[in-house]
Amino acid sequence: MSQNKRTIDFGFSEVPLEEKVKKVKGVFDSVADKYDIMNDVMSMGIHRLWKRHTIELSGIRPGQSVLDLAGGTGDLTKAFAKRVGQSGRVVLADINESMVRVGRDRLINQGIAGNVDYTITNAEALAFPDNTFDLATIAFGLRNVTNKDKALEELYRVLKPGGQLMVLEFSKVTQPLLSKAYDFYSFNILPKMGKLIADDEASYQYLAESIRMHPDQETLKQMMLDAGFDKAEYLNMSEGIVALHRGWKY
Amino acid sequence: MPNPQNANSQHATGLMSLTAAKLLETLLNEAIRLDAQHGAAFKALPECAIQLHLKDVQVNFYLVCTDYGISVQNALKGEADACIQTELAELVALHRTGQLNNAQLSGDDALATQFIQALANLDIDWEEHLSHYTGDLIAFKVGQAARSFAHAKETAKQQAADTLKEYLQFELNALPTKDQVMRFTDEVNRLQEQTDAIAERIEQLLNKRPHKADA
Ligand SMILES: C[S@@+](CC[C@H](N)C(=O)[O-])C[C@H]1O[C@@H](n2cnc3c(N)ncnc32)[C@H](O)[C@@H]1O
Repeated sequence: MSQNKRTIDFGFSEVPLEEKVKKVKGVFDSVADKYDIMNDVMSMGIHRLWKRHTIELSGIRPGQSVLDLAGGTGDLTKAFAKRVGQSGRVVLADINESMVRVGRDRLINQGIAGNVDYTITNAEALAFPDNTFDLATIAFGLRNVTNKDKALEELYRVLKPGGQLMVLEFSKVTQPLLSKAYDFYSFNILPKMGKLIADDEASYQYLAESIRMHPDQETLKQMMLDAGFDKAEYLNMSEGIVALHRGWKY
Repeated sequence: MPNPQNANSQHATGLMSLTAAKLLETLLNEAIRLDAQHGAAFKALPECAIQLHLKDVQVNFYLVCTDYGISVQNALKGEADACIQTELAELVALHRTGQLNNAQLSGDDALATQFIQALANLDIDWEEHLSHYTGDLIAFKVGQAARSFAHAKETAKQQAADTLKEYLQFELNALPTKDQVMRFTDEVNRLQEQTDAIAERIEQLLNKRPHKADA
């Protein structure tokens, strides 16, 4: 597997392993404050629909504890905080301080407070005890993690028995025609938009490439089972542009 | 036993029901915001999950109540604290009638009753809201794009509940993009403003680095 090599993919270019962490951090440092609008523009707003679908399927209820890993600017954290209420807890964890700061300010401005914790954490070494969360999510984050197998093992570890992991991530487009159009969009249009909006073509080039390097639906499902999940399944959204993988710990 | 539909609920999150859940959520929270008492009756509820099962249209919602307001979703882990089984028409008439006459309650009955009371206090113009919803759906489904929006709205308003019922029963095959356009009009407006700002930025960039403009 990729993590046994001394180099690792950074988008399509191979870089020494320890450098990837630094590079990924750089990418998100440079896009943090423009991140929300880029999200809207890039997916034409549909990312909200994908996220809403994820939230609904989680079946979340008051009193539960949720880990929103790679939570970034906190879209999912916000929705979960509203649902778990003051008797529950949501932890927004992200490796990048700027993203967490933008997320925290944004949520506090929107009146979300009292049941959300913010923490800087690497997905590969989660700073939480075993069996802590009823639900863990990682939305558009796993593809950036260097050692995905380790991250999945960590996610399994911190889930309570009966808990559920939800991985929302760009995946393999199932429809050939759409697949072509989507390729064109991600490699030609997306980086240009990144240049115009965030003045940062390289970061968005990386985003496009990292999407393509991410494991496809079946591979990720198998990785989840290998990481210890007792059951795993996935659901394609928008013809597989995005897939929602769910894993359960029994 | 609450949960007449629990087995289905995990899979019933088509776009249609997502939209319906979002609509109901917006409607309730908007009504609470406009309410003279700001929905004080809801604030008095403990944090809870209420299952609302609309028998006639075979739709199931879970209403999650916390200090932040009401969130509506299609799935719930475990059983709801209370379950209300009623009909769409009764729900729509609730503010006028003050009660759900033929509702069946299960789980925590007292909680369900308290919830219905809170709901009855809210003056929701269901028909107005539903007509927007069904009006949009009709316009899309039948493809009568040329028909004026006002006319669609007027027609739909007369039979809002009936039309909604029909659409909920026959799962609509809406294209995500169209559905998304309907739901995110607000965001589109916001994006419009941001686009203006971007346009300005592009101009600045072009002025700053003309030789790199098409790199
Ligand atoms: C594309 S953003 C997604 C943010 C948010 N979940 C959303 O859906 O809007 C990816 C996030 O993953 C974070 N990230 C990247 N590598 C990570 C790691 N190893 N551990 C934790 N977070 C990481 C980045 O800092 C960034 O905030």
